[in-house]
Amino acid sequence: MAMSDTNSDDLVQDYLAECQEHLATIENDLLLIEQAGAEIDEQLVNRVFRAAHSIKGGAGFFDLTKIRELAHQTENVLDLVRSRQMTPTPEVVSILLMAFDKLREMIAHYRESNASDIAEFVEALAMLTADNLPPDRKASVTERVAVGASATSAGIEVSAFDLGQARLGGKSVFLIRYDLIHDIQRLGKQPYQVLKSLMEYGTILETVFDLDSAGTLDDEPVNQLLLEVLFATPLGPELIRQAVDVPSERVRVVAKNGSIQSLEEAEAAARAPVAAAKHGKSSKSVKSAKSAKAAEPARPAEPAMPVEAAQPSEPAIPVAEPHVPEANPKSALAPSVSSVESTIRLNVTLLDSLMTLAGELVLSRNQLNESVARQDERGIRSGAQRIHLVTSELQEAVTLTRMQPVGNVFAKFPRLVRDLARDLGKEVQLKIEGAEVELDKTILEGLSDPLTHMVRNSVDHGIEPPDKRAAAGKPRSGTITLKAAHQAGQVVIEISDDGKGLDAEKVAASALSKGLVTREALQAMTEREKMSLIMLPGVSTAQKLSDVSGRGVGMDVVKTNLDKLGGKIEIDSKPGHGTTLRIKLPLTLAIIPSLLISHRGERFAIPQVNVGELIRVRAEQVKERIDHVGDAEVLILRDRLVPLVRLAEVLNLDREESVGAACNVVLVDTGAFEYGLVVDKLHDTVEIVVKPLGRHLKGLPDYAGATILGDGRVAVILDIAGLAARAGLTAAVAQAVTRTEATDREVEGDGETYALLLFENGPGEACAVPIYMVSRIERVRAAQIEHLGGRRTMQHRGVSLPVVTLSDVASVGQLADSQAWVVIVFEHAGRLVGLLAAEPLDMIETRLTIDRVTLRQRGISGSTVLKGKTTLIVDILELVEDVAPAQAVTAPSLADGAAPPAAAPTVLLAEDSDFFRGQIKRLIEAVGYTVMAAEDGQAAWELLDQHAGEIAAVATDIEMPRMNGLDLTRRIRADGRFPHLPVIAISTLAGDEEIARGMAAGVTEYRVKLNKDEVIESIRRAVEDSPNGPAPRGASGMKAEELV
Amino acid sequence: MNDLEQEQKQEQKQAVVHPAGDVVAASIGELRHEMQGLMSAGVQEMTVDLADVRMIDSRGIGLLISAHNSLRKLGGTLAVVHASKDILDLLHTMRIHQHFSVSGDE
Repeated sequence: MAMSDTNSDDLVQDYLAECQEHLATIENDLLLIEQAGAEIDEQLVNRVFRAAHSIKGGAGFFDLTKIRELAHQTENVLDLVRSRQMTPTPEVVSILLMAFDKLREMIAHYRESNASDIAEFVEALAMLTADNLPPDRKASVTERVAVGASATSAGIEVSAFDLGQARLGGKSVFLIRYDLIHDIQRLGKQPYQVLKSLMEYGTILETVFDLDSAGTLDDEPVNQLLLEVLFATPLGPELIRQAVDVPSERVRVVAKNGSIQSLEEAEAAARAPVAAAKHGKSSKSVKSAKSAKAAEPARPAEPAMPVEAAQPSEPAIPVAEPHVPEANPKSALAPSVSSVESTIRLNVTLLDSLMTLAGELVLSRNQLNESVARQDERGIRSGAQRIHLVTSELQEAVTLTRMQPVGNVFAKFPRLVRDLARDLGKEVQLKIEGAEVELDKTILEGLSDPLTHMVRNSVDHGIEPPDKRAAAGKPRSGTITLKAAHQAGQVVIEISDDGKGLDAEKVAASALSKGLVTREALQAMTEREKMSLIMLPGVSTAQKLSDVSGRGVGMDVVKTNLDKLGGKIEIDSKPGHGTTLRIKLPLTLAIIPSLLISHRGERFAIPQVNVGELIRVRAEQVKERIDHVGDAEVLILRDRLVPLVRLAEVLNLDREESVGAACNVVLVDTGAFEYGLVVDKLHDTVEIVVKPLGRHLKGLPDYAGATILGDGRVAVILDIAGLAARAGLTAAVAQAVTRTEATDREVEGDGETYALLLFENGPGEACAVPIYMVSRIERVRAAQIEHLGGRRTMQHRGVSLPVVTLSDVASVGQLADSQAWVVIVFEHAGRLVGLLAAEPLDMIETRLTIDRVTLRQRGISGSTVLKGKTTLIVDILELVEDVAPAQAVTAPSLADGAAPPAAAPTVLLAEDSDFFRGQIKRLIEAVGYTVMAAEDGQAAWELLDQHAGEIAAVATDIEMPRMNGLDLTRRIRADGRFPHLPVIAISTLAGDEEIARGMAAGVTEYRVKLNKDEVIESIRRAVEDSPNGPAPRGASGMKAEELV
Repeated sequence: MNDLEQEQKQEQKQAVVHPAGDVVAASIGELRHEMQGLMSAGVQEMTVDLADVRMIDSRGIGLLISAHNSLRKLGGTLAVVHASKDILDLLHTMRIHQHFSVSGDE
């Protein structure tokens, strides 16, 4: 036979290469034919017809009978289409596509192709040509095989086609018998979860539930519930045991003929010589199994659950996308196109130019040799120059040979999108632009899987179902655009869809719930930064926990894959309008521009793509530019903070520089975050040739490879991400460090120390109140708020609590229904008032300066910047006065029964903080006293001096400019006029020592500023006891106690 | 928690069972009892409305199938309606929908 002839082996290779070229174009042509429908483009059909014809012709020559037969059948169908006797409906095209898939499979393994079983395909194609068959039979490429039938079990019936397809790519088929009670219930698992996780390893072809095992309602609750699962997976018998949590005797291997054997038998068979395996390849046994079942009515293949057919050709993401629908095993074929090719076709002119360059190189060498022999220095120099020139050109030319159009990878997507969209009931158009852009073969191969994943994501999660789109005013059919272009020496690939977009907040919430970022970090993030969080492992926008899939599952894997290719990925999305993923890739991987750095003579290379900028921190700047957060160092770079990693420390090189010396920092970008690498010396940027590290150095994450420098010495290439990981720096840590530092820096700012409760008013509207004002915080639902008599109230601990909102008084946003509402309960003048607010809540104690001008309005005492956000400081007293003035002002005086305000006792208040002065002033006024306020001790003394007879009590801060509270007190006591004037010290500090000093100075009482109840009580008591207090004293003294 | 609610339709042969919580081991005793009651009252066409059910465990599946088996003996049918997406997926994966009618929310 011709095939055995070595001479004709070359011919076969030629034929195979030609077939592959045909098959590469056929798929898209068929899809175009399908789109055109009845409007047949003859040229297109002719092209596919000729392709089928030449595959058939060659197959006949090489005695590849099965290939010939199948090609012949497709040719027949195409002939009918060409002659307009048959309309290329989606069904027809589907069958053709499947047939060509089978052809591709057979051609890839042409030596075994004669043993292939193509009966189903031939039959389906023959049915099409017969034309008089009912349409539903056209679609049924199905013949049923019973798997695992035995005396005790009816086995599982599955279409022979599915079974054959499931085995593609070296997968095995197992029959797993689950006992829902013992294997799932007793282990505390949920059946849904168990099946989902099973699907992460492969495809469930068919299941059969043993209904009888459940018994009837009248029986005792059963002890076993049997579910047989026919499962195709790339895992072998060894691994399936670990993947499936059932006793191994209930996992059996399904042989090609449908018979089953135990795992042990299968393993034994695998160890045994090939003879056993070969035996199993016979297709006759399949037929006999089938003919036994031939009488069974052929059911159309049940659309399988949307499952992921794990492909061995996609090793990087098999587990990560359990939810990608692959209803038809046929579409599982698509990725196999990307399998690594061992041969490559080259343009002859390119080869010629390579040859010319090689000739040039030889000539240059001769010239150099001769010059060296003659010691002709000029000759040597010009020789070196020539070699330099030729090498550059040669490098370019050789790189070109490895360049392939991106279209090679893009080519599989029309089919993938079509099949996926059909399965999901969506309408999706795929647009491809820039297919001619060329990339290095290695990169292209590595790109295939991530791209596939992203395109699937777009179809599955991006594009909405047609009805939803129509409802949103978009065209029913979604569009996905794949675009490649050159940009600044890099290749940029964009995958964009006009689907529902990515919800940054959902991504952020998911990352937060997984503990990957802190709430603080999130608040400072831009939309885009939040979206980028989807690249972190485990982040998903899936709404339900049980829904394993969601846009983003596996995005971390995509990112890892791209990182390996030296690529970067960006996300851009507008909710409702679509998502764009942008990948930037280097043209080639073998030779990369790199920055050389050194540490004590040892040189390292950092790939230029990772380098952001170079910074020299001079010795005198070190103190102000390099800061510490815990143990970590950070660099203050313009308005940012960047974590620092010292190369010498990470790599355990000996380190001599003393802290505080000048240093060189390379700002590097891992893609996920930036950090500064402190190095000893910076050198040039050079093109380096990447050499893999030897086996003994494998597994060191800090190094990406090595290179040989011009002087013949070796430099290792630093892996920026690996280095960060070794230093304990991850994206989350980097953010945390940066955030902590930022917070700390706020604390270092000038101003008073405040303990604030942070909350939101409208979405994103940050507000704060001093914590000392707050009594309680309660979660509420909108429905709990009652509207009575024009006021809002709610039931709170058995009483009706008046509820106000900030928007009642101030012109601020409204609370949105989507927010989580809380009521912040304040105690004001002996009454409770609730302020409606929204989560997130946070508490912060910090030193800050309040801007009392810019945003000042009724109800808002000012603003400050907290965590990078402008935050409104709510003046709760003003708010309550405005919303419920009667209660706020008259309530205490009613209770007090005191004289009208005009005759009210006066309290002198000395406080340097505008904020606290305002707050305490209002507190005191709220109980019915008049306040004279001074901004320091000196001013207070002057006031007291002028109004000596009016002032009933003095309340003073301790720390104040000009004259502090203690000096003020001493002065008061020293002056003969005020021996009995009460002086209340109000301070943030109330240690024993401070109190003792205060008492020594002569204060009556010492109170902590933040405890407003105590402060008010003290002032009230002081006023009652004061010589200038209200008269008659006795009566109101009693009342005061009632209020306390 | 398993506050069962039954809506007898006009015909005694039809009935809707409406589990108020998850159909799991802890709650199926009551449900089983309710179903038995309906069947002994002559109900032959039973609909299980899963509108309020988020989760169904192995025991729950066993109960549905037992009910189906019992009804089939009587010549009746079982139908499951308003199953959530997860439950629908599960019942489809197990091919249970080939034995009795299973429908989802939409």
